[in-house]
Amino acid sequence: MQKIQEIDYLVLTGLAQEAEPVELSVLSAKVGLDQAKVSAVFVTRQGAEIELEERPYFELSVGKKAQGWGPHLPERRIIEALKQSAEPLAMPEIAERSGLESKDVGGTLKVLKDKGWVEQQGKSLRLTEVGQEAAVSEPGPEERVFTVVAQSGRTVTDRELRESRLPVDDALKLLEERKGILDVRERVERFAKLSEAGRAMVRDGIEPIREANLLTPEMLKDGSWKDVRFRPYDVTAAAEPVYPGKLHPLVSVFEKTRRVFLEMGFEETESGYVESSFWDFDALFQPQDHPARDMQDTFYVGRPGSCRLPDEAMVQRVRDTHEGGGECGSVGWRYKWSRELSEKTVLRTHTTASTVRALAQKPESPRKVFCVGPVFRRETVDYKHLPVFHQVDGIIIDEKVTFANLLGTLEAFYRKMGFTKFQFRPAFFPYTEPSVEIFVWSEKKSDWVEMGGAGMFRPEVTEPLGCTSPVLAWGLGLERLAMFTYDLASIGELYRARLGWLKGVDLCRL
Amino acid sequence: MPVIGIPVDMLNERIATKLEPDTMVTKLQQLGCDVEGYATLRRFACQACTWLMEITETENPPVECQACGVDYKAKPELLAERGTTEVIRMELLAVRPDMFDPAGLARTLRGYLGEHLGPVKYQLDEPTVTVDVQPELDDPQNPLYRPIRCAVVRNVELNEDRIKVLMKLQENLHWAMGRDRKRASIGCYDLSTFNCAQGVYYRLTPPDVPDFVPLGKSEEMTPKGVLEKHPRGIDYAHLLQGRAFYPLLGSYREDGSEVVMAFIPIINSEDTKVVPGTKDLFVDVTGVEPRLVEKILNTMVTALLELCPGSTAEKVAISVPGREPYLTPDLTPQEVEFDTTLPARRLGIEVDQAKVKELLLKMGHGVTDGKEGKVTVAVPAYRNDILHPVDLVEDVAIAYGYHNIVPSLVPTFTVGVETPRGALMNRARQALTGLGYHEVLTLILSNEADQFEKLRRKKADDHVEILHPISTEQTLIRTSLIPGLLDTFSVNTDHPLPQRIFEVGRISRLDDSVEVGAREYLRVAAAVIGSRADFTEIKAVAEALVRELGFGTGGVVRALAEGDEFEGTFIPGRAAAISGDEGIVWVNFGELHPEVLEKFGLAYPVALLEMDLEVLL
Repeated sequence: MQKIQEIDYLVLTGLAQEAEPVELSVLSAKVGLDQAKVSAVFVTRQGAEIELEERPYFELSVGKKAQGWGPHLPERRIIEALKQSAEPLAMPEIAERSGLESKDVGGTLKVLKDKGWVEQQGKSLRLTEVGQEAAVSEPGPEERVFTVVAQSGRTVTDRELRESRLPVDDALKLLEERKGILDVRERVERFAKLSEAGRAMVRDGIEPIREANLLTPEMLKDGSWKDVRFRPYDVTAAAEPVYPGKLHPLVSVFEKTRRVFLEMGFEETESGYVESSFWDFDALFQPQDHPARDMQDTFYVGRPGSCRLPDEAMVQRVRDTHEGGGECGSVGWRYKWSRELSEKTVLRTHTTASTVRALAQKPESPRKVFCVGPVFRRETVDYKHLPVFHQVDGIIIDEKVTFANLLGTLEAFYRKMGFTKFQFRPAFFPYTEPSVEIFVWSEKKSDWVEMGGAGMFRPEVTEPLGCTSPVLAWGLGLERLAMFTYDLASIGELYRARLGWLKGVDLCRL
Repeated sequence: MPVIGIPVDMLNERIATKLEPDTMVTKLQQLGCDVEGYATLRRFACQACTWLMEITETENPPVECQACGVDYKAKPELLAERGTTEVIRMELLAVRPDMFDPAGLARTLRGYLGEHLGPVKYQLDEPTVTVDVQPELDDPQNPLYRPIRCAVVRNVELNEDRIKVLMKLQENLHWAMGRDRKRASIGCYDLSTFNCAQGVYYRLTPPDVPDFVPLGKSEEMTPKGVLEKHPRGIDYAHLLQGRAFYPLLGSYREDGSEVVMAFIPIINSEDTKVVPGTKDLFVDVTGVEPRLVEKILNTMVTALLELCPGSTAEKVAISVPGREPYLTPDLTPQEVEFDTTLPARRLGIEVDQAKVKELLLKMGHGVTDGKEGKVTVAVPAYRNDILHPVDLVEDVAIAYGYHNIVPSLVPTFTVGVETPRGALMNRARQALTGLGYHEVLTLILSNEADQFEKLRRKKADDHVEILHPISTEQTLIRTSLIPGLLDTFSVNTDHPLPQRIFEVGRISRLDDSVEVGAREYLRVAAAVIGSRADFTEIKAVAEALVRELGFGTGGVVRALAEGDEFEGTFIPGRAAAISGDEGIVWVNFGELHPEVLEKFGLAYPVALLEMDLEVLL
């Protein structure tokens, strides 16, 4: 017993009941399937279980010229009209009596004359004897065929006409010269019968497989899915794109950054956006007249305009260090430090304000601390600058660390962020010594690109806060990293972003 | 940072080692210079005042003199082309004013390249000029205090090129050390234009005397007139605001009459100005405190000596009545006790004492053996950046080469710990992305219209306000995330609907109980826009967040009522809050009021929520 598709089963069993070859449409009607489906079976099994034979035939239909003629050719209607009249009739009269248009009457004259049915008297016509006889005799082959086709109101095959014993061949020959009366199209009919192999297959037994579109719970429940063949899909057809809900691309950079530092054993810290000048600048040994503290560059806060300072002893140590170096072996900046300026509130200009707070809170070695967050600079907005951007700051408090460890840590971070070539160049920041800028190699720009600054906190920073160990520190911009990761030309694209872009950024960029 | 152009030929002719252009850039970078690259400049000289102007190849020739203001459209014959010059463009390295000019930069390079080890010796001749200072100007307790230090440099043989370098150096020192003349200002004068043997005076003058011809002008003006009419005077008038007397530097002509040298810190006089052919220079620096003034003078004098081979410096006596005259400049090096094991310990490199000494010599320092294995480092007088021995460690690191330091990892193991806030933010993101919402990031700075009026929300008046906002769009720190979300919708009206977005972020409120007077609250807001956006969807999301983020099961849902913060933001009867113990609101949600939609330019319904995550921390 062989299992085959349901359609194949129907076709093969249908054919098995026929002694003679069966035409496609006949078989389709018999087995109750579309001709297209049956035809598909013919094609796939041709030469194997099915033998196909192609037979030419004609399709006939009423031509354009004969539309509106009714079931009879005009010559018949003309001799009918003449037969009724004793007198010869003029053309307009013939038209009127026969119900034909005058152009059809004129167009038929030649046929009538060739047949010898009429003769002309002046401008009139009269029936000849042959014509008299023709008017009462059986119509000719072309008339009979035309009448059948016209009455059927459809396309008729020559096979149908022959089955009715109509003289198709004679009719077509007679009408050959008369274009536009019958449209004749040559067609091919396909006849099928089972081959030897086909008969053997049916004899040996075949069984249909049921086809289905949907796998239903019932099929699973009763196990009938086993007898079902699921109709295959066009697997190349397009599916509508869908997007998972996603993190903002810049947040992905923050999160990757956090993950990298957490992996490297750092504890995370945080602090507020509103910060005192003390923590943002003074604790970092930034002299109070430093240009970075100008109103031009820093957002001072109008409300709350000033704030409290931390532990008084610490504030005094910071003041002494600014003024004369304090007790850390420095000469200091040598100016009069102002408490009032230190109490002024700002929007933090760097996340170093967070890490230095963490340092002051617990200055003991060993400790690794980082902070990711927004910072504020009074920048004019352009493709590279916004008043708010994000940084990662980190510090390592450790008796045993060196500047080489700082370079190693920075390199490890950027390696994890996908960069492979690094360069360290001297730089100058008020609160670190030595100071360094890290550059990464950009294949796209084919140049070194600066990513951020770092260094070892000066003793003028660490000692007033109670820390005697070396402290490695860095502040790295994250927007620049994001612009690299996502090939952005402008920082503005990261904010007020287009949803199309947010959805479209693939997850494996980081 | 301003960008400066160092003339390549002036730099190269001062170093013996021939460096390829790329190698030169690398060496400068290794010294900490932020090099942008090479550029060719076209030069023009003003025939009216001898000022030399440089433009890049893409710029148009000047239409007026930057110094004297003469109009070249009216008098084209006064603009003379002076060919081109190649420069290395780099950012001004503010902490190293001794490297602002080609001669000073060459001095550093000669040391770094090993052409000259140790300090450069500068000879100072005995004074021939005395400056008589009015006591008020030298009294730190006096509000008009502005100490002066001077020097004479002879045989400078100035030409257009050297004057250009000198002027740029002066300009850059004004910017970097003088804080745009606020803290210090510099003047250079042709010594031959006055009879210095009779002395130089530095005194206070009333605003309306004397009349003198300021630089770049042909008519006389009073100091007050300069502040009102002269472009330079208008620029710097703020430095003298509210003063009854202005500082004036002057000397005498052969006939004994007075000649004004400078109206300090505004402008020099035309009478004593430096021109091509000037042989001897008088230099003065004034400022708010003597140490800075002395450092700038040292920088100027040593730069001039480097710039003009064959020149010599001469001290100037500063005489204040009632005090012993003192002589300036003082180029005595600053001595620093230095532990030579410090570089190895701090940098993580292997350098013994001999190597450390060699590296210090390369950086232009003098080194002598001191006690207990330490050395005494003599820091050149033109260096302004050595506050602590760690600054010398950095010099050692630069001389050693950052590129020669092998990066290594921190030896100590520690355990990573994230903040509870960081962890919570990620849980909120996980929940909302899982629900098909897309995260957006909006600006933290906002304004009252967006935060209150457009939201139909009552102003609580407890927001953080910026003192000098850049724009009216950004005057405060946001107190709600909602306007940012609505703004995002409004720029995405061409994107298919529905749109679902969220933001996790902080808002700020004033709070007296914390040190800085304000504190942040972690919030999450989520919104959906589309013709079917409704209360049911956003309620489901609100309840999911309450459930997933750990609020517990005690929440009570109630309709928003009169007095609720966001009551006006939503359609009446289609807004609710879930609150916990003592009525603390966890989340507000509902369908947005049509008026709010109109104000944000939105044409479809929006349902949204804003949740306070701070209560979970």
